[in-house]
Amino acid sequence: MQNNSTHKIYSGKMSNETFINLFMVVVLAVLFIGASLVVPNFFSMKIVVNLITNYWFVILIGIGVTFLLTTGHFDMSVGGIIAMTGVLSVYFCQSSTGSMPLSTGLGLPYGVAIVLALLCAVGIGAVNAFFIAKLKVASIIITLGTMSLARGIAQIVTLGAQRNTSLPEIYGVIGNASIPGTVVKVSVLIMAAFVILAAFVEKKTVFGRRTYLIGANPQAAKLSGVKVSKHVAILYLISALLAGVTGLLLASEYKAGLSNRATGYEFDALVITLLGGTSILGGFGSVVGTVIGALILCVVTSAATGLLLSPDMQFIIKGIVTFLAILAQRMALEKRKG
Amino acid sequence: MMTEPIRKKYQPTDWKAFTKNVYIYILLLFIVFIFSVIKLDQVEMFGRGNFLSPDSIVNLLRSAIPIITLGGGFTLIMISGHIDLSVGSEMGLSAVVYAWLAIHGVPFIISFAVTAVLGIVMGFINGLFVVRLRITPVIATLVNLNLFKGIALLIVPNGVSAIKSSDTIKMPEWINDYGRKNFLLGLPVAFYVAILVIVILFIVQRRTIIGKYSAAIGGNRIAAELSGVDAKKMVWLLYIIMGTLAAVAGIARASYMSLGDPLSGDGMETDCIIAVLLGGTAFTGGSGSVVKTIIGALIIVCMTTGLMTVIPPYYQILAKSLVLIMAVTINRLLDSSRVKA
Repeated sequence: MQNNSTHKIYSGKMSNETFINLFMVVVLAVLFIGASLVVPNFFSMKIVVNLITNYWFVILIGIGVTFLLTTGHFDMSVGGIIAMTGVLSVYFCQSSTGSMPLSTGLGLPYGVAIVLALLCAVGIGAVNAFFIAKLKVASIIITLGTMSLARGIAQIVTLGAQRNTSLPEIYGVIGNASIPGTVVKVSVLIMAAFVILAAFVEKKTVFGRRTYLIGANPQAAKLSGVKVSKHVAILYLISALLAGVTGLLLASEYKAGLSNRATGYEFDALVITLLGGTSILGGFGSVVGTVIGALILCVVTSAATGLLLSPDMQFIIKGIVTFLAILAQRMALEKRKG
Repeated sequence: MMTEPIRKKYQPTDWKAFTKNVYIYILLLFIVFIFSVIKLDQVEMFGRGNFLSPDSIVNLLRSAIPIITLGGGFTLIMISGHIDLSVGSEMGLSAVVYAWLAIHGVPFIISFAVTAVLGIVMGFINGLFVVRLRITPVIATLVNLNLFKGIALLIVPNGVSAIKSSDTIKMPEWINDYGRKNFLLGLPVAFYVAILVIVILFIVQRRTIIGKYSAAIGGNRIAAELSGVDAKKMVWLLYIIMGTLAAVAGIARASYMSLGDPLSGDGMETDCIIAVLLGGTAFTGGSGSVVKTIIGALIIVCMTTGLMTVIPPYYQILAKSLVLIMAVTINRLLDSSRVKA
């Protein structure tokens, strides 16, 4: 009997994932060229570099969101975690001898403060993990709750405003440092490192492949011996940790802990993940796609700003772009099958 | 010899079922009791400082109008296993459109009717995404959340935060009649409309096909479809109902505040989720109760208004999130129908 192990359900040699990634790159190119033609001053190296460097924080939390969406779960708490971690790190670092409540902190050494703040971020992730992985609560509901929880903690610590005084000198270093010789910030480098690490994990490690399996077929995963609950729990901890790192970098950059920072970032992260081709249905998606999605979103919003459209249009734009992307990807994949 | 019926000892499930049905009323009484006992003389809105004074009850119920209007429809959607995260933006857009119509001289009836039709359209769009285009409800309604919010923000002219009276144009005098002016017992017309909505939805959920089919779809969609339920039409209808209710809630809010604030519905979806969860509706669908959701809604309103006087404003988000987590935990613990996966 003929060996049919190489039988594919689609034509061509590349995987569906690569196909979608290429598809979105084409979309990106088309949008970029279109924007260059329509928007004045759009086409310049400065813009291109700015595209990536201004969006690094959304990509960084997008990594966690991508992994989780691949398993069919949402994480809406990342924005709140960013704010909370930033605020807490400032609070821990602020000198403990101060005249006003908002200038006084715990006076901990910098390293201790950073680690402690990250632990708090992971703590929020643990709450997520407990309710979603253990109690099997719907992820959208509980992460909306932890989003408010984290932001609520941030608001309490800053009394509704922000903390930005009495910080040690070292605090502002990592957020504002640049790679020597360029204007690219270290934060972007950190983001790129995490992206490369994530891409490696998702393609080449057992952990990564299991993530896809859980998303594609949870029952099969469980029957194959994958500890699904534990795996999803770990993903939530990782996502929270990434959000915590982002929060630290942002707080360091602005040398302030704002209680309303990162409002709406969770939705941006979801948008770029969806633009990148990650589907909630079937264990499909990639971090590389998310990066492409971020670039697409950036091109579109920059073009909108360049065309002097009102900032309120951003909501409509993000909605429409997400909608079109989901439909386009679905149509492209269905055409491929035929 | 006749066999005697086997006498059952009290099964654990008896207590569980009983608690499940009753706890929410106990919770409401508890909350009301707590806040009555705490001294509330700092805030004028509580009349003589008593939570249970007529003035404060009127204020409480008046601020509960939107969530009471929304809660029933949201319950039906969740019973069917779906979700609508765009209700807040639907409400905001409705408030803006209604205010815009009113301030430009359109009479009340027509403004109301046009906004209600807008609600139907918004619900139709939600249904289109979820049912026809088969996009996951979470993502579909999140997309529409942004879409509606964006449209509402665009309608409001640059430089102002809402559609309201200014030097050049004024809100008509009748603007408060619906949502704020005393109609009966100190409560406005909007309140009684909300009560009417609940009564209708209670009947719908318990005794009509809409309610039964929704539960069937939520419990086991494939079985329902094989039994002849047109799941697509039903879910689409539920989203349209939700949109219309959101429009009515938006009208009530705009009428109360005398302005159309595009952000006036923000956070409503979270409140609805908490109310539904407190009311015991399983979020995977299949069972639920409109009445219990409304009790849950009242609990939230009592807590929010009560807490507003006791804790500073920047504690509020944390308090709400803890309520949500508590509601989720209670819901989980009491959900005896869950199959242990």
